[in-house]
Amino acid sequence: MIQTRPYEFLVQYTPQREWIERRGTLMWLAMFFIELGAGAFVVSSIFGSLPGMLTGWLMCGVLGGGFHLLYLGHPLRFWRMVLSSGWKTSWISRGLIFVTLFLVLGLVHMILLQWAAPATGLLIAADVFAFLAIIYVGFVMNYVNGIPLWNTPLLPVLYLILGIWGGLGITLLTLPATGAAAAAASIEEWSRIFLLTFIFLAFSYLFGIRYQGATGKASVMAIVAGKWAPLFWTMVVALGTLLPAGVALGTWVAGLSIPTALVYALIILELLGDLSLRYCILRCGLYGPLIPATSYAS
Amino acid sequence: MRYGMVIDLNKCVGCYACVIKCKQEHFLPPTMEWGRVLMSETGTYPNITKHMYPVLCNHCEEPACVGACPTNATQQREDGIVHIDQNKCVGCRYCLIACPYQVRSFYAHEKEYFPGQGLTEFERIGAKLYPLQTGVVLKCDFCLERVDEGTGKGLKPGVDIEATPACVNICPAKARFFGDLDDPDGEASKLIREKRAVQLHPEYGTDPSVYYVIG
Repeated sequence: MIQTRPYEFLVQYTPQREWIERRGTLMWLAMFFIELGAGAFVVSSIFGSLPGMLTGWLMCGVLGGGFHLLYLGHPLRFWRMVLSSGWKTSWISRGLIFVTLFLVLGLVHMILLQWAAPATGLLIAADVFAFLAIIYVGFVMNYVNGIPLWNTPLLPVLYLILGIWGGLGITLLTLPATGAAAAAASIEEWSRIFLLTFIFLAFSYLFGIRYQGATGKASVMAIVAGKWAPLFWTMVVALGTLLPAGVALGTWVAGLSIPTALVYALIILELLGDLSLRYCILRCGLYGPLIPATSYAS
Repeated sequence: MRYGMVIDLNKCVGCYACVIKCKQEHFLPPTMEWGRVLMSETGTYPNITKHMYPVLCNHCEEPACVGACPTNATQQREDGIVHIDQNKCVGCRYCLIACPYQVRSFYAHEKEYFPGQGLTEFERIGAKLYPLQTGVVLKCDFCLERVDEGTGKGLKPGVDIEATPACVNICPAKARFFGDLDDPDGEASKLIREKRAVQLHPEYGTDPSVYYVIG
C-alpha cells in the first residue's frame, strides 16, 4: 500500500483547475460564447438573417471576448496575443487572430449591408474566420498532451458540431425579427441532422477516450459516474440531447410540426446541454500521476 | 549546449533544503514553490521504505509550454534553459495547463508571509532584488541569473558554486548534479550514461533535461 504525502495531487489523477475554478469559469464561458457566437454568425449569414448575424457577433465579441479578457492576468497586454509571433505555434494566439478578423470583417459587412449592396467577398472572408473561430478552442485543448480527455483529434470536430448546432438554434430564435419565417423549417431540418451527428460524435469521443489508457478512463468515469455525473446525465444527456431527439423523432414520425414555444424551449435546453458538456470536459480533464507510483514503489 | 540536471534518488534524504533554498533565492511568496519534493512510503510497519522524488521544471528540449505561449513570454534559450519574460506574460495560463509536469505557478495576488502585519525585511529586499509581477505565470529558471553571472566570469556551471543553481549547491546529500548535457565529460552526462538515469514521463515527447538516477 502506498501512502503519499504531502503532494498527493501529483501522485494521483490531478484535474486541471486553471480554466474552470474561480476565475477559470470565465474561460469556460469565453470558449462557449466565442464558438456559439461565431456559429450563429455563420448560420445566420447563410440564411440571410441580419439579426442573427448581429446576435452572433455580439455573443462572440462582447461576451466571448469580454470573458476572455477578464480572465487574463494582464488584460491590457491582450494585444501581444494578436500582434506577437506567438501565432506560429500557439493556438490561443491563432484563435484570437481568427476572432479579431471575424469581428472586424463581420462588422464591416453588417454596416455596409445597411447602405450598400451586399459585399459577397467580405461576407465569405468573415464566414471563413468565424468558422476558424469555432474550431480553434478544440485545437487549443487538443494541444495539451498531458490531459488525454483533451488530447484527441475528435475534440475540435465535436466543438465544431456544437458551435454550428448552437448557431442553428440562435438563428432560429432570431428568425421572428427578420420576418423570414420560411427558413425555419430548413433550419429545424439541419438542427436534426446536427443533433444526430452530435450524438454519434459525443459517444465516439467518450468511448474512444475510455479505452485510451488509465488516465483517459479516469476522466470519462469522472464524467459519467463521478461527481459531475448528475450534471452530465441530466443536462447533457436527458435534457440537452434525448429530449430534443425524442421530440424531433416523434413529430417527424407523426408528421406534425413542433409548436414554436416548444422549439424555443428545446433550443434553450440544447444550449444548456452544450454549456454543461463543455463544463464536464474542462472539469474532468485529468493529468496522469506525475510520479509513476507502482513502478517507483516496486 | 544544453543545461540539465541529474537527481540521484538514492541520495536524496527529503530534507526540503532545495525547496526552501529556491524560495529564498528567488524571494518566492507564500504557497509558491518552483521546486517540490514528493514523498511516499511503501511497505507496512516495521518494514517501511520512504521514497523522495524532487521535481522542478524539466527545461524540456521540446517544451510544450513554449509552443503554447501566445506572446512568446516563455522562451527557450540556446543553452536549453526555458524561462519566462514577466513583462510579456498576459496571464492566460495556457502554458501552465500545457505543461504535463504541472511545475508552473500562477501568481494571482500579492501575498504576505504574515498577513496584516506588513512585509518582513526578507520580503522588502525581495521586492527590490527579485521583483515578481502578479498576474503572470512563474517557474524555475535553473537560476539563470547565477548561471549567466558565473559564466560571464569564466566559471563553469555545475562545477563552480557561483555559476550553479542554488538547489544544487544547497543539497546536503549531494544528490543533485548540474551541467551541460552535451558535454560527454561532464559529471551530469556521465551519471546519465553510467547510472542509466531516466527522464520523467518520456512518453509526452518533451525530452526533459532533468534526469533521475533510480537504481
